[in-house]
Amino acid sequence: MEYSAIILAGGAGTRMKQASPKQFLLLAGKPMFMHTLERLEKISSIKEIILVSVPQYRELLAANIDAYMLQKKYLIVDGGESRQQSVLNGILAASQDNVIIHEAARPFVTTDEFQALIDEPCEDAIYGADIPFTVLLKKNGFISNILERSELLNVQLPQKFGRQPILDVHQRAAAEGKRFTEDASMLYYYTGREIKILPGSHCNIKVTEPIDLILGEFIYKEYIIGRD
Amino acid sequence: MTCVITGAGSGIGRATAVEMSRRADYDTLVLIGRHSETLAETKICLENKKKIILKAFDLTDFGAIPILVQDIFMECENIQCLLNIAGYTEPQALLTTSLENMKTTFEVNVFAPFVLIRECVRFMRLNDRPSKILNVASTAGVTARPGWLSYASSKAALVSLSQTLSEELAEYRIKVYCVSPGRCATALRKKLAPDEDQTVIMQPDEVGRIICDLVSNDEYCLDGQNIIIRKK
Ligand SMILES: NC(=O)c1ccc[n+]([C@@H]2O[C@H](COP(=O)([O-])OP(=O)(O)OC[C@H]3O[C@@H](n4cnc5c(N)ncnc54)[C@H](OP(=O)(O)O)[C@@H]3O)[C@@H](O)[C@H]2O)c1
Repeated sequence: MEYSAIILAGGAGTRMKQASPKQFLLLAGKPMFMHTLERLEKISSIKEIILVSVPQYRELLAANIDAYMLQKKYLIVDGGESRQQSVLNGILAASQDNVIIHEAARPFVTTDEFQALIDEPCEDAIYGADIPFTVLLKKNGFISNILERSELLNVQLPQKFGRQPILDVHQRAAAEGKRFTEDASMLYYYTGREIKILPGSHCNIKVTEPIDLILGEFIYKEYIIGRD
Repeated sequence: MTCVITGAGSGIGRATAVEMSRRADYDTLVLIGRHSETLAETKICLENKKKIILKAFDLTDFGAIPILVQDIFMECENIQCLLNIAGYTEPQALLTTSLENMKTTFEVNVFAPFVLIRECVRFMRLNDRPSKILNVASTAGVTARPGWLSYASSKAALVSLSQTLSEELAEYRIKVYCVSPGRCATALRKKLAPDEDQTVIMQPDEVGRIICDLVSNDEYCLDGQNIIIRKK
């Protein structure tokens, strides 16, 4: 099976208090998004990589693809108003029957983890981890209900879907003006399809706050290159 | 498997090439130096089991290094190891150290290794087996050396460059070594210490053996440090 990889690489980065958006910050000496791209380069069933970003970073992305001499087919498409719209733009640009959705702000996914997602026989699959802390429901500043921790899932990326089913539900959600925070929820909500959960690593953090970049350097050393 | 050696026309570079020609780790040696005559002399000293390629090249011709490296890759089909051994010194006191002196010293000792590494890494990233880079710095790079300002500071830069790259390139399975020899009987040392009796100090083949040990296929634990090579 062949895949288009859709990489979200375009948030404005306001939370990081940095001039450049977080995906372009250096992590262990390399632009954050490049960690993902270099690993995807090694996977033969990925036929194209679609970078979804804001127009002002097109040139920077293209210059880095050049400097790192990346070999795969790259498409840079504009993001939308929301994450959901950005993913839809990526899916629309994809030419393969299957898509992998990932975000550049999660640079600690190894080549083997991408490969395991691809090798999973179920067409739709995601990474997810247990939640090691308690999550409750709230209302107006008060606890409103409890949740059973063992039934909850910390939803991670990357995720893979058949292109047509995920496109269909995105178009439906767009038509209905319905918002989802990520794509597995959307597919499940509309279709009830079987979506396989692969055990995700707790090192697969999303770099969001400035402290994450500092933690990220430790994760890189320990988990990715195994240095002390 | 190809090993590229700079400074191969004399001293430590030549001794390393000679030692390397006796070992099984690399089957192709690319020898770089400015003078084709001295490179040819080195070639005569080598055991002739390997493919030997001579490249007369001035490493301060930075613009041409990408083409040099590309040519080597085309000819050898891989670059597995790079030994940055070429070096330059013009010892002077601060008040007589010209900017030119500083520039030339940094060009040969820091900028040339930097450009060579950058260009070689483009290809090394693609290797199936771990690749190796070794830089020859100096004990002068980590201690005060009055009168050797440009040389000592350039070697300090090379130590730092090596340490940074050892982590930055780890995910590509490229190991970066840095060795810092103490006094060793060569022409460069003669410039630094003209009156010294070179027969009683460390000889280039002693350093060459250690360099070959480090970049052999069996070694994978000593990268990322500044390894001092000194005869006690
Ligand atoms: N000898 C010591 O005591 C000692 C101690 C610590 C570190 N080291 C280091 O060991 C390395 C080797 O030096 P060595 O002691 O063996 O002295 P050497 O025999 O004088 O070797 C220096 C080499 O550098 C080459 N070189 C200089 N400028 C160059 C340029 N622009 N382009 C290309 N090649 C150039 C020279 O070749 P061409 O002239 O043919 O170009 C020569 O082969 C140097 O990095 C030196 O700093 C030496």
